[in-house]
Amino acid sequence: MRTAAAWLLTALVAAAALGLDQPPSAARLGQPAGPPLTGAELERLTEELSSLMRCPVCQGLSVADSPTPLAAAMKNEVRELLAAGYDRQQVLDYFEQSYGEFIRLAPRAEGFNLTVWLAPAAILLLGFALILARRRASRARRPAVAEADAELEAYRERVRREVAS
Amino acid sequence: MNRTVLIVGTLITVPLLVFLALSFGKDPRAIDSPLIGKPAPAFALRDLDGQPLSLADLRGQPAVLNFWATWCQPCIVEHPVLMTAAREYAGRVRFVGIVYQDEPELIRRFQVERGAWGPALVDPDGSVAIAYGVYGAPETFFLDSTGTVRRKVTGALGRMQLASLIEELP
Amino acid sequence: MTSLVGQGLVLVGLLICAVGAPLAFAGGRARSAAALAWSRRLALAFAGAMLAANLVMEYALITHDFSVSYVASVGSRATPLHIAIVSLWSSLEGSILFWGLVLGGFTAAVAVLQRRGHDDYLGYTLGTLFAIGLFFSFLIAGPANPFRPTPLPIPLDGPGPNPLLQNHLLMIIHPPALYLGYVGMSVPFAMAVAALLRGQLGPTWLRPLRNWLIVPTSFLTLGIMLGGWWSYEVLGWGGYWAWDPVENASFLPWLTAIAALHSAVVMQRRGTLKAWTVILIMTTFLLTILGTFLTRSGVVNSVHSFTQSPIGPLFLGFLGVALVASVVLLALRVDTLVSEPSEDAIVAREGAFLLNNLILVTIMFTVLVGTLFPIIAEAVRGVKVSVGEPFYNRMSVPAFLGLLLLMGMGPALPWGRADRATVRRALLWPLPAAAVGTALAALLFGTNGYILVTGAIAGYALWVTFDQGLRPARSRARSGEALPRALSSSVKRSPRSIGAYLVHLGVVITFVAIAISANLQSSSEAVVAPGGVLEIDEYRLVFERAAAERQPHRAVQKATVRVERDGKLLGVLEPSLNQYPTMREPIITPAVRTGLGHDLYLTLMSVDPEGRAGLRAIVTPAVAWIWIGVFIMVAGTALCLVRPRTGLATAAVGAAQTATS
Repeated sequence: MRTAAAWLLTALVAAAALGLDQPPSAARLGQPAGPPLTGAELERLTEELSSLMRCPVCQGLSVADSPTPLAAAMKNEVRELLAAGYDRQQVLDYFEQSYGEFIRLAPRAEGFNLTVWLAPAAILLLGFALILARRRASRARRPAVAEADAELEAYRERVRREVAS
Repeated sequence: MNRTVLIVGTLITVPLLVFLALSFGKDPRAIDSPLIGKPAPAFALRDLDGQPLSLADLRGQPAVLNFWATWCQPCIVEHPVLMTAAREYAGRVRFVGIVYQDEPELIRRFQVERGAWGPALVDPDGSVAIAYGVYGAPETFFLDSTGTVRRKVTGALGRMQLASLIEELP
Repeated sequence: MTSLVGQGLVLVGLLICAVGAPLAFAGGRARSAAALAWSRRLALAFAGAMLAANLVMEYALITHDFSVSYVASVGSRATPLHIAIVSLWSSLEGSILFWGLVLGGFTAAVAVLQRRGHDDYLGYTLGTLFAIGLFFSFLIAGPANPFRPTPLPIPLDGPGPNPLLQNHLLMIIHPPALYLGYVGMSVPFAMAVAALLRGQLGPTWLRPLRNWLIVPTSFLTLGIMLGGWWSYEVLGWGGYWAWDPVENASFLPWLTAIAALHSAVVMQRRGTLKAWTVILIMTTFLLTILGTFLTRSGVVNSVHSFTQSPIGPLFLGFLGVALVASVVLLALRVDTLVSEPSEDAIVAREGAFLLNNLILVTIMFTVLVGTLFPIIAEAVRGVKVSVGEPFYNRMSVPAFLGLLLLMGMGPALPWGRADRATVRRALLWPLPAAAVGTALAALLFGTNGYILVTGAIAGYALWVTFDQGLRPARSRARSGEALPRALSSSVKRSPRSIGAYLVHLGVVITFVAIAISANLQSSSEAVVAPGGVLEIDEYRLVFERAAAERQPHRAVQKATVRVERDGKLLGVLEPSLNQYPTMREPIITPAVRTGLGHDLYLTLMSVDPEGRAGLRAIVTPAVAWIWIGVFIMVAGTALCLVRPRTGLATAAVGAAQTATS
């Protein structure tokens, strides 16, 4: 019993000592959700995640691209978190908790943000529908004879001749 | 009169102009801290003499947490303001500095030349600064006695501003 | 004194526009030859006043006349002469003054070059240009006045221009090219307005309209590319395009201008899409104003944007007026531009043009919504969000690949309705080239998916481009002409179509180069002591020393790095950190070793007290080909402006001249 208590005490002291130099991330992140990464895989994912985050000092560039010291520190932080086994979602969330949604270079695809993700597809579909509708309309008009602009008709005739020559 | 053109044109023109007009006067560079109202991120750092200090040590008293560096011009401007305030609120409010992206000798020299208003904790890899979402210097966080972030100010604090923000702390 | 002269000249310009706009409009409406003649003279006078005002400012900048407020804010005795000259466009007020010069130049050029045979349209065109000139000369005369006298006491020296802008020679040519593109879009806009007011858009107006669209588009292309090149050579992060709001602002009108150039071809050929082309042209101009507003007002975040300025609201007002006027004018008059009834086949040349327009407009909307979304989200949700590279890349890369594919398929297809067999043959015939492209990409660059797909499509497009572009020359050669002669006479006879294919060739090159450079960059960084080595790919970079140097306008820390490959010395790179007195952080100036295969890009990130240097090396393949491709595009557009040696244009001009005389 006494040895057990002594062990517990030692463990607590060790934990406290460790805790002193523990990164602030640990308290907020909870348990790592993935396996710890190393080597090339670690570098690849570090690069990938840093390119998804905005460098808060330069504001236009990603953390991966930015040459500033803060971006370098952030990239190191990403590397450490990944090496400790936190997965990409946890890492991105961690930075978002500190810097806000601003840090994500690609906005989360949810809620109102869906506007920006879906608008292009909407425009594309709308435009395509428009082209098809136009085609149908012009087909319906087909029998009608063109009252062509005389100037234009002459011009086009010349184009035809010239192209043919 | 082509109605389609009018309708589509209006649908594009009006929101565009409204949003652009609304955007005036907002600083696109100011990032609101998402930490307001949340528990301050934990840290455990050492000061220049190796003395440890952690967030838990600050509990029980309101605290002013100032991120600074010797390379930062506004920090030099802000320094005397903090000196006065730290003296004035001694015993009631803790003043803690966290120095990032800096060298211990430079910090020591800075404090010898200009005085120290509180412990200067060294954040060697900048991870505490990142946890607090710091993107410039100086940045100041106002913590209540439970360790919750109440306010955050980016840039050098003025005398009056600092006093009123401290008075606001519960 | 200088202030007074400058201000006087600007006021003269303002007055000319104030008189010119109503005169030209009224003259156009009444078809009065006298009013038109006077409008032309006023156009020249406007250009003259703007030129004189700019020269006065240049004189003040060169002589360091700090009694002029603009010189006091951007001048400095330590600034070298060439930087002093280009600091005309290094800051807000000066750049608006320069804008006035370019606008004056374009207005005068229209008045001179379109003086014959276009009386129907010219009055309205000049009127619109004067109206635009009125706004800009008002800006120069009032809110953004660069000639304001400096309050006493007059300083003995100034801070010098923005350090980022004095760091590289490309900054001398990038802004003028961009301005020529941006401001030049006023001309096709004014011509489109004239067509709407006149209620017709015939071939006699279409041809100059197309040319006046080609010129600024060409400059804009060049300007965008030079901007990317500048940011690559100066900003030190190793890339050339960051989807920054300022970059997007220049990209938006470019997209619609390209769309308009293509729809104008269909209009010329089939007599359709008139209204659509006019809408695209007007949108292009409105986007240049929107872009200027975004970059000058400080409402969006950007590395390059000028700080918050009082002209923001004015620009928004101008944008509002221009937008509303355009929408109203279009709604009222667009139906007067009757397209010829014709049936558009989708699987045909015109179908490819339509899809090209659809994709370009979609990309434009994507970039526009992305650029404005932070503003919208803040207004709606009260939260700051970012829209950056990952978003734009994901959205636009497929669209651009689609465009490249269309660029291959379109020219292969015949105009109009064709039987299935013909279509199938036309589309299948270039497939071997796609296979070769894929194989080549795999061989040279490995199995990166993006590059393989790009290789396939580029091979296809390249084949079609050469096949179509050389077709006239080949048929001449077949009928007995020597090949070089056949080539040169086909260029002379149809410079437009050959020019267009040359542009396509440049596009393919640029596109492939972007795909390769964006996907295959490698980088390496380390802190090294003197004598230490940083290795990247096949290079050994030996850091020799770091040296500090004081120059009149900046303090420079320079690293000397030997570049070795296979034990052989290739040269020395000297990246530096430039500290300007007005800036807190030093500017990282990279040293670049450019090659046709790849670039070696070296930056000095830091120098510590012990003399160790933080170095970052980046190897990017194929970057140089981006610039080469764009130069080819610009050459192609220049060829498009050349009048065919014999045939239509000459005949038409001859006819027009006979008609007017």
